[in-house]
Amino acid sequence: MNNRVCIVGIGVVESAEAITQFSHKELLFHATRKALDDAGLERKDIDSGITATFDFLEGRSLSNQFTLDSIGGVMKPCDLRLGEDGIYGLFAGYMEVMADPSQIVVVASVQKASERDPEGLGYQKLIADSMDPVFSRPVCKAVHNILGLESVLAAMEARAFMDRTGLSEEQLAKVAVKNLKNANPGDKNSPMEEEAVLKSDLLSWPIRRMTKAKEVDAACTIILASEKRAKDLHSEPVFIRGIGWCSDKSHLPFREQGVSKETKWAAHQAYHMAGIRRPDKEIDLAEVSDWYAHRELMHCEALGFCQANEIGSHIAEGMFEREGTLPVNASGGLLGRGNAVGTSGLIRIAQVVQQIRGQANGYQVSGVEVGLAHSWGGIPTATAGVAVLGKW
Amino acid sequence: MVKRVAIVGVGMQKFEFRKRETVEEMIFDVTRDALENSGLSKDDIDAVVFGSAVDAFCGIHNSDKVAIDASGGLLKPTMRNSTSGSTAISTPILGYTHVASGMYDIVMVICFEKMSENHAAQAVFNTVYDEAFVRPIGLNVPIQCGLEARAYLHRYGLTERQMAKVSVKNRGNALANPYAQLPMKLTVEDVMASPYLSWPVKLLDTSPVTDGARAVILASEDVAKELDDDPVWIKGVGRGADSVWFMGRRNADLGRLDYAYLAAQQAYDMAGIRNPMAEIDYAEVYDPFTYKEMQHCEALGLCPEGGAGRMIDEGISLKDGDLPVNASGGLQGEGNPIGAGMSRLCWCYLQIKGKAGACQVPKDVNTAVANGWGGMYQYNAVMVLGRD
Repeated sequence: MNNRVCIVGIGVVESAEAITQFSHKELLFHATRKALDDAGLERKDIDSGITATFDFLEGRSLSNQFTLDSIGGVMKPCDLRLGEDGIYGLFAGYMEVMADPSQIVVVASVQKASERDPEGLGYQKLIADSMDPVFSRPVCKAVHNILGLESVLAAMEARAFMDRTGLSEEQLAKVAVKNLKNANPGDKNSPMEEEAVLKSDLLSWPIRRMTKAKEVDAACTIILASEKRAKDLHSEPVFIRGIGWCSDKSHLPFREQGVSKETKWAAHQAYHMAGIRRPDKEIDLAEVSDWYAHRELMHCEALGFCQANEIGSHIAEGMFEREGTLPVNASGGLLGRGNAVGTSGLIRIAQVVQQIRGQANGYQVSGVEVGLAHSWGGIPTATAGVAVLGKW
Repeated sequence: MVKRVAIVGVGMQKFEFRKRETVEEMIFDVTRDALENSGLSKDDIDAVVFGSAVDAFCGIHNSDKVAIDASGGLLKPTMRNSTSGSTAISTPILGYTHVASGMYDIVMVICFEKMSENHAAQAVFNTVYDEAFVRPIGLNVPIQCGLEARAYLHRYGLTERQMAKVSVKNRGNALANPYAQLPMKLTVEDVMASPYLSWPVKLLDTSPVTDGARAVILASEDVAKELDDDPVWIKGVGRGADSVWFMGRRNADLGRLDYAYLAAQQAYDMAGIRNPMAEIDYAEVYDPFTYKEMQHCEALGLCPEGGAGRMIDEGISLKDGDLPVNASGGLQGEGNPIGAGMSRLCWCYLQIKGKAGACQVPKDVNTAVANGWGGMYQYNAVMVLGRD
């Protein structure tokens, strides 16, 4: 079998601070340059390019037409898409390579949150603008909350999740502490404790400033090739063993709150493809979306890592810690590293690739053979993507 | 092993300005129509691919997400593609990739656009340009295309009268199309007398602002042969894209669409077509402006480079001509809901199947080609259909 698809290069540009010295095109250029260097390729080797960006977050329509030059896609059969998380680019790229195995496909995504005000009213209006204009939007526009619609909606599902599983605010705070510690492995001076998380600003109970990921600027490029072509490239390729993506109902009133059905179904497809029956035993490391602390736990449940009634004991036993049996977000996740909306999905992939290659300096978990990356579209969508990656 | 992919059904709907239906309802209608035409149920669909160019038209962030329920894609893999106007063809190409890769057997492709829900479509179009250099000039599509049309006419020595003949042909063809928004019986003089929007582009050289949707169901070889004795296969696909910075391209002459030639070459190579002029029986090309049809006919090799003027003068592209182009009326006559320009592909399918009704051309159609164009003179996507 020579037609499996591999990740042959990764390039990430991210920063906890606003990146003001580069435009979004330049950010993407640097990420792509890194990925090409990683794979030992040049621009002329690229056959096809895919980017994923969100128009309304970028503030320009057809925002993906501007990314073409930065990813070396000029006069190539570029196939760009938007309105999806970057991880969807990986799925489309996978299918491109399967449909034409001779191709080298570049998948990229960029987000410059610092060009807008992530906490401002404009962004909160945007959340309402992603609802259908007849039923849900008028209700959401009527939410007069200075801290924003996003937190209110997140609080609703967090409450539903806590009610169902019996988890407490302290347990959610532990997730935030774990991820913040993971993100700063060498930092012994500022011990991060639950106390600090529970004392952070309340946005909409139980959502606090520190149980919600902060938006950051980032760009990520991933290069895909068939197994046959990957053999000739200089970095260690990582197999894509399974992919799955899925969306639940968009109409909030009709959707069950506090569960992530979309993640469950996406994982179901990915596991089926990868031949995984016991994800809790077979997966060595997972990077899942922890946009909010409760979301990490909700996704772990939907991914089949544990049952709803086991979450509490797993937190207490440290199953998801870096030293645990199934490390989740050993890189620090979104809570620790920041959330580049739309790009963080691809960054999760890059993190898992580094772990499998054994190149995750400071964050490395030993003996990772099979890793999982997950991404969720954020409030108010119910869109998820799952990729299972394996060692060469 | 790359799988063969066939079209097993299309879903149509009338194109209108200010449609009463919401985005969800529009999508429900075409989904239902496509399922009925193909004899499938929504449970048979493995995955859904959406195509819509500009969210700002209908004012919904991620407008495909609100329509997932209406498309039968609930808790199934759904994906959204957007390459401006070429969404019309690059979305079915993404659907093709879903099936050709072996991931899925039956894929629903839905393209939609609700352009009339804002106060002015051209004000929305201004937001597609570079915010530092181009947007402040107040550029919009007619101005952008006026520049390109001028360069094109100059490069090949073509005339505005030849452009006008395309408008007369397409709007006239639309008279037979039950889904058309703007069928008109015109003369060349009517078009020439219409006001200039951006010289040399006149009002009747353009296409209208439209709401509408189209659906296409794609299937793998096994499924297609079960549903249909003589399926319409996707024989070739091709895409090309040039730099967004059109002043700095290798070929700075706007008159020649290098990226469209690139896309057509890929599609024809894949389909094994060497002489498109002789081997293509029917074409639906992207004609938001009259000169675009002429440019695309050249890029697709339906006439020699620079020969599009003679093609229309000699009546080759008329409905009863040797190589009919846009017998459905094209975007000019049928309406131009950017992404839902996938209608071009639907009509190729209907012509090959002999189901085009009053639009059916009076010749055998075995091989047809459709294309889409969009962006800052930037993208082109080409698809070749044919039977065995």
